[in-house]
Amino acid sequence: MIADMSIVLVGVSHKTAAVEIRERLAFVETHIHDALHQLVDRELISEGLIVSTCNRVEVIVATPKQNEAEAAISQVYDFLHRYHSCDSHLLRKHCYHHSDSSAIKHVFRVTSSLDSMVVGEPQITGQVKEAFQRAQEADSVGHSLTRLMNRAFVVAKRVRNETGIGSSAVSISFVAVELAKKVFETLKGTTVMLIGAGEMAELAARHLLNYGASRILIVNRTYENAKHLADEMKGEPVHFEEFEKRMPEAEIVICSTGAPHYLVNHDQVRGALDTRRNRPMMFIDISVPRNIDPAISNLDNAFVFDVDDLESIAEANRSEREREALRAEAIIETEVEHFTAALAEGDLNAVIGAFRREVSSMTFAELDRSRKRLGSLSEDQEEALRVMLNAIVNKFTQPVIKQLRESDDGHSPYLEAWREMYHHKDKE
Amino acid sequence: MLLSSRILICARKSMTILLMIALLLYMVGAFYSIIILATKSKHAGRGLIALVGAGFIAHTAAIGIDWSRLGHFPIVNPKEVSSFIAWAIVAYYLVMSLRYHVRALPTIILPLVFVFTLISLLLPDPAQSLPLMLEGAITANVVTQIIFPAHVTLVIFSYAAFIVTFVCGVMYLIQEHELKAKHFGAAFQRLPALNTCDEIGYRSLSIGFVLLTLGVVTGIVWNNQRDGRYWHNDPKEVMALVTWMIYLFIMHYRLTAGWRGRRVALLSIVGFVVVLLTWLGARALGGYHVFG
Repeated sequence: MIADMSIVLVGVSHKTAAVEIRERLAFVETHIHDALHQLVDRELISEGLIVSTCNRVEVIVATPKQNEAEAAISQVYDFLHRYHSCDSHLLRKHCYHHSDSSAIKHVFRVTSSLDSMVVGEPQITGQVKEAFQRAQEADSVGHSLTRLMNRAFVVAKRVRNETGIGSSAVSISFVAVELAKKVFETLKGTTVMLIGAGEMAELAARHLLNYGASRILIVNRTYENAKHLADEMKGEPVHFEEFEKRMPEAEIVICSTGAPHYLVNHDQVRGALDTRRNRPMMFIDISVPRNIDPAISNLDNAFVFDVDDLESIAEANRSEREREALRAEAIIETEVEHFTAALAEGDLNAVIGAFRREVSSMTFAELDRSRKRLGSLSEDQEEALRVMLNAIVNKFTQPVIKQLRESDDGHSPYLEAWREMYHHKDKE
Repeated sequence: MLLSSRILICARKSMTILLMIALLLYMVGAFYSIIILATKSKHAGRGLIALVGAGFIAHTAAIGIDWSRLGHFPIVNPKEVSSFIAWAIVAYYLVMSLRYHVRALPTIILPLVFVFTLISLLLPDPAQSLPLMLEGAITANVVTQIIFPAHVTLVIFSYAAFIVTFVCGVMYLIQEHELKAKHFGAAFQRLPALNTCDEIGYRSLSIGFVLLTLGVVTGIVWNNQRDGRYWHNDPKEVMALVTWMIYLFIMHYRLTAGWRGRRVALLSIVGFVVVLLTWLGARALGGYHVFG
């Protein structure tokens, strides 16, 4: 239960709605400031944050009143309805909403990539961070959401560090990167040679470049095609007749052509390895029928993988990820508990502090009023009076504080009453 | 006399306690590194380095106390040598971890360190702190006072480096097998990349080779200082020469013919087996070079 405010969330994701619905609810980045202002201008909404990606839209808000979560949720639905001119029945049908600890949990899960289409994919954390930044720029987030989001980023980091959720590749092209890293450690400084123009091979090559490969040689039977792709990928086109001569330059050779026979054979690779003074080479064959002679694998320092090898790793990683996701869920559970407890605790301390200050200032005000009649006091006497009054304040407040702490289950009407009396007063 | 013997007993006790502390820290470190590897946690090994570093400090203090207590460099009997080799491996590991972060390495090395330290603690104190044949030989003159510790330290540090080379060679062969057999299991995920095994292994080999060369040279000089003979044809001397030649062979072909990967890994393992034979086996064969 969150002290003076509630956190509420309304969202739509790939799990609840098809892309036709999601794209209608998506927020355009250039208009996000405007949308955020419209959101927080609404009644019951004091802070707001919008995460909009191709897989999801999440509207997270803080409402300053307690027990108004339902009303705040309606406000958010109404906001979506008006902003996107979208039928409200349709909204209610495809969106989900959460409040308080369930909202906190959802935010943690989304940020930690547990709710993603590919569980563990790392982009979502960055996207949420960006959304939070936009909201900060638009000045639509305050203390509550800042605290929530900062915790969410810590949780995401914990999940990443303490589970293997993001550590394995689940698509063929990422598997190629993973394998290359197990041979070369880092892709920095490596050269990739791409033979043919299969889509999957091209994707794998792009991933290798993204992960640090520094150069790409593109070979195609039709030089024009090679040149075209090379322009696009900032690579170097190579004539088909020259590929054997250039092969020793490459650490990684990816092959995907329609040729019905082996293009890269044992002797060529032996020659290439000699030229390279045995620095290792990796071959990825994505063509069917295969274009790279599997016997190359018998050579020291040469490693050959075909499409089946890549697929089997991807498959194994997918089930591994599901197991790790369970561990991540456990982390999220405890984090949600801690966060809600910390919020309630913070609130209780504020009430107690306010109560003590109130009683103490009343008491010392009385002392000031009686000063005239007391006449002038020595320093010792002054000190003795202070000690005495403080003791009275403590004696009086202690049982009350004890009672407050004991009855703090978050819903105590007792605590509510004290909050009404002192916490609000303190703020004024 | 009574007082000084009391001080000696006290020093002996504190040395044992420090060594036990080091042992405990190494043990915790070993378990911790196993957990890190098993759970694939991405927590960097900073905690691990701190643990092992603390163990290292305690260990260093233990050796220091021993040195001043005995009045000579404390690597003249198996008890002391076990402790010293553990210390040297840890020192080597700590220096290496400044540059390389290989999770699998401490998992293999720390249990080894633990075992050596444990052996040292369990071995009884020898009847004489200095073996008979070393009596007087170490303290004879300034040159022998320096050259003997230098000889032993260099050789033991070269062994520490060769242990790392050996471990890298084994890791290389396992990882290579995983990749070639397309068996992407637990070892594949946890062991370092082939290039990393090769690089660390070869670096350690070069370092070990230089240290061993200097160790052999100082050994020869010390021989001469003692009895005027450079070479005794003692089994240990011969084996050390063989070890040295194997590593020279690897270095030579690495530099001239670009040998690397599997071949170097296999040869590193062979080299290490000979190191073990030199170190432990020569003892069994007897000869004059039996201490340590």
